[in-house]
This record gives sequence, structure tokens and C-alpha cells, in this order.
Amino acid sequence: MKALIIIKEQDYSWIREVLPHVHPLLVPICNKPFAEFLIDFSILAGCEAIRFVSDGPLSDVEHYCDDGSRWGIAVSYSSIQIADELQQVIKKNQRYCSDGKIIVISGFIFIHYNKQKDYKKLFAALPEGEILNCICGSLSLSGAPLDGQKAIVSDVALSLTGLNSIDVYYRLSMEVLGYASSPYVLPGYSNEAYCSIGSNVVITKGAEIIKPVIIGNNVQILAGSVIGPDAVIGNNVIVDRDSTVSASIVMDNTYIGEHLAVTNRIATENILIEPESGASMAMEDPHLLTGIKKIGSAETIVQSLVHGLMALILISLQLIPFLLLLPILTMQGKWKWYKNTSYTTVSGKTLKLTTATLERNGLISTLAGALSLDRLPLLFRVLSGQLAIIGGGAVVANSNTVADLSSAPSSNRACVFSYAEAEDWPLTGGDSAIVERYYAVHGNPFQDIIMTVKALFNRILEKNTP
Amino acid sequence: MTFSISLHTSSGKTLGIAELSGKIDAKNKSEFQTSFDLWLKQTSFLVFDCSKLDFIDSSGLGALVSCLRKAIEHGGDVKLANLSSKVSMVFELTKVNKLFSIFADTESAKLSF
Repeated sequence: MKALIIIKEQDYSWIREVLPHVHPLLVPICNKPFAEFLIDFSILAGCEAIRFVSDGPLSDVEHYCDDGSRWGIAVSYSSIQIADELQQVIKKNQRYCSDGKIIVISGFIFIHYNKQKDYKKLFAALPEGEILNCICGSLSLSGAPLDGQKAIVSDVALSLTGLNSIDVYYRLSMEVLGYASSPYVLPGYSNEAYCSIGSNVVITKGAEIIKPVIIGNNVQILAGSVIGPDAVIGNNVIVDRDSTVSASIVMDNTYIGEHLAVTNRIATENILIEPESGASMAMEDPHLLTGIKKIGSAETIVQSLVHGLMALILISLQLIPFLLLLPILTMQGKWKWYKNTSYTTVSGKTLKLTTATLERNGLISTLAGALSLDRLPLLFRVLSGQLAIIGGGAVVANSNTVADLSSAPSSNRACVFSYAEAEDWPLTGGDSAIVERYYAVHGNPFQDIIMTVKALFNRILEKNTP
Repeated sequence: MTFSISLHTSSGKTLGIAELSGKIDAKNKSEFQTSFDLWLKQTSFLVFDCSKLDFIDSSGLGALVSCLRKAIEHGGDVKLANLSSKVSMVFELTKVNKLFSIFADTESAKLSF
């Protein structure tokens, strides 16, 4: 038996407008791409081969499904014209359809099946013709039933849902989420009913998970957040502190800012959608909702190299003024050294730092402050890789700050300059935490260069001088 | 982006109906707050007609909350009317809708004072 899946672009064009970041056939339903549900069903029905047919581009689907070896089935792809009807499509794929029975899935439809049921015998015994249909498509069979087989339809449940709007998509996702024991194979680890969690998921202390919920891979849920009930969290998602996500779908690569309430919504990167009305809004404010990209190891190396290079340049510019001005400032009592222990990263490792404070009154001390000479000792730590040149600010290790540490993004590193200094935000209080947390998540190596220069300029202008 | 105000007298109170149009974001929030301070001198009972407000970001929300706080300090209130669906989504997302009295139209907001 083989499956022929025919989905025309006009059937799924609405998804491209609403969810532009994903190919319609790969739109996730509870973190499982739509096409995989069709593949699973075809395998349950006894198919040994599947062909995706469309008048639209299938390269993304081909890239994801490849040749189907992942599922032990042969997957192939074919193009058709917009005007081709079902019979013409079958005729164009005659060679594929020539031997054995063909299950034809036509339209952008979701097939409700149960992985526990036996569909092989059913489809083997059914006669040629349409089995089920709905507003958006149909499930039919071509080819004669196998000899000696009798169709037993009564106790095998199958139904169709036409995916023709974002509201239908949303309700379908909530329905699939709501099964205690899912009739579908869903991604993630599921040791208990109504709950499935992927790999590399960080749920910090103080976060709450309320079932039913599905969480994807590489997800961070920061302190105070509440996920669920009825929440689907995709892959590479960060839900920042004290936010709630309930009766909502947060799709892949999305950042949810602090103190937000996502209820009855679909959030995809920077787009927030109200499923019932279909209204959507692109958030321009990245502190609320934005897309994120996963930093791979190559980018981390590039970031370290860029930081090291900046530190080297600053050391070469500051060293001579430092050696000339330090003795004078020390004699004047305006330069004081002190030692503290700071957290290097959110892992809790600490680092003993020797830092300096500078009283900016007088020509020489003002000049030293403008040149950021008090930060020179820390620049050598950047060269050794222990500090970042710019980041979320060094967190002094004590019993009060350990709680803050656990709620910080995992990319947070101790640093010489802080993002708050660069953006000219108050250095103390919750405001600085907002901007520092944002850039810790969204920063990239070349933006760090710009931010470092801004921080230096702000110090020259004596803005936010600590 | 424009802000304008008209004054009405109702139940013995002077109400200010401020029409907000365009956007309130980090770039113009200072101008908005300056305008509000001028309005506050005329009345502390204000209705913001947001029917032409297309966009608001977190800075704009902060400015609105600041206006509310100032109005309350002067014994008054700020109420919102005619929020578009997109602006409503931002309010709901940030939970700012819990701080304000929000009405479907300006008349209802006026009557609520």
C-alpha cells in the first residue's frame, strides 16, 4: 500500500500570512510537524511509501523528511499544476500509483487517528472510493480490496478536521494537548499524563508548570513564570521572569518578556495572534515579544574572539595613561582598590576580582574616568576568557544575589562594562536588569562592539558613573 | 503622532477628552508626557480616546501609567476608550489593562466619572 498526499498551495495559503516563519506543511501541532502526523497515519495504515504532491514549494518539507528513512518508509515528492484535479494528479503519478492500493489524502486536513488501532486491515479491506470527507479535503482509496479481506469499519475511529483558519489550528492543538494518554506519538519525555517535556529544558526555581502542558527542546523558563494550564511551548523558547502562558501556543524561537500574560494567544517570534478573531500584531518592542536565534558553538567562539580583540585594543590605548596617572591618583587618594567575589556565569562558579573605584573630581581623575582606566585591570581577565567585555554586569556573590543568579538567562556572564551603561539606563534597580537580560538573550558579537563603544562614550560623558 | 484635548463639563466636573493618534513609543513619550502635564493643569479627570492610536510600546505604556499615577495624585483619574484590537492585545499582554478602566466608547467613559 502507498499514500499519496495532495495539498495545494491554495489550501494552506492562509497559514503563510498568519505564521510566516514556518512552512505550512511543517506547522507544529503540539511541537510535532503537521506532515509527521500524515506520515504516522500512513504507516499505521500499512503504507510502505508516501508521496507529497503540491503545486507549491516542497523544498522545506523535503529537507525535513528527506527520503523517509527516519521512519522506515520511502518518502518522495512531486509537483503539479494549480489547475490539476485529483484524477490528473493520479495520472501524473501513474507510475507511483500503478501497483497496489493507494490511500489518497487530499487537502489541508488533519486526520484524527489512534496509534493503538489497527488500520492496516481496515484499509486493506475497504473498496475503492471516498472514505471520509470534510470541508477542506478528503480521504479516499484507489485500487481493489485485497482478496479475502472484509472491511470492518465500525470499531475503528477516524475523522477529519479541515485546517482552514488559525482558530481551527489553535483548537486542534488544544484538543491534541488535552489527551491524558495521547492517541498520537508526540515529541518529548512523558512520564506522567498531560505533560511532555523535551530535552535541555531549564526550569528555574520559582517557576510553576501546570498540566496539561507540552514543552519543547532548549527551553528556558525563568523564575516566577507560570506555564499552563493548556500551554504548548515550542523549541528554543525563553519565557522570562514572572510571565504566565496559559491556553496558548508559543512557537519555536520565541522570547516572552518579563511580567507578561499570554492567555488564549499564539505567539510566534514577534507576532501575537488572537486565534478567535484572527487578529495579529507584530510587536516592535523586543522587550515584550521577539524572535531569538540559537547561538551555536561557532558563534560563541566568534564572540570570545571579538571580546578578546576589543580588550586588546582598549589595553593598548589605556596602558600608558594608566601607568602615568595611577601614581598621581593613588597619592591623591582618589583611586582605591578593592576585592570581591563575583559569579562568572549562572552556573554559580565564582571568580575573585580586583576592581578599582575612582573619585571623579579634579582634572586628572576626570580624565582617568573618561578613559575608563578603572576598568583596565578587568580587561586582562577578558583576554584570559574569564570575563566578557560587555554583558549583564558582574553579580557580587552573596546570599542575597544567589536568588537573582538562578533567574538570570543562561547566557549571562560577568563583564567589564554592562549593557545598562551602554544604553544609558540607571545602573541600579530593576530597570538595568531589564536591558541586561534582554541583551544577554539577544546580543551578538558585532552588536557587542557597538555596545562597548556606547558604554565608553557614556563614561566619557559621565553618564551613569557609578 | 498628535495629541489634542477638548474639555467637557459633566456632573459638575470638568472632563478632558484627549484624542491620541498615531503612536506612543520611546521617541515621543516625553512629548506626550509634557502634553499631559499641561492637560493636568486644566483637569485631573481625563478620558483618552484611543480610536486613532495605532501603536504603543513598553515606553508608551510606561508613559500612560505615569499619567494615571499623576492624575490620581491630583485626585482624578484617567480612563481609556476605543482601544483598537491591536492596542488591546498589548494591554492584555502586559497586564496594564488591570490598571485602567477601559471602555468601548468615549461616552461610556465620560458617564463613568
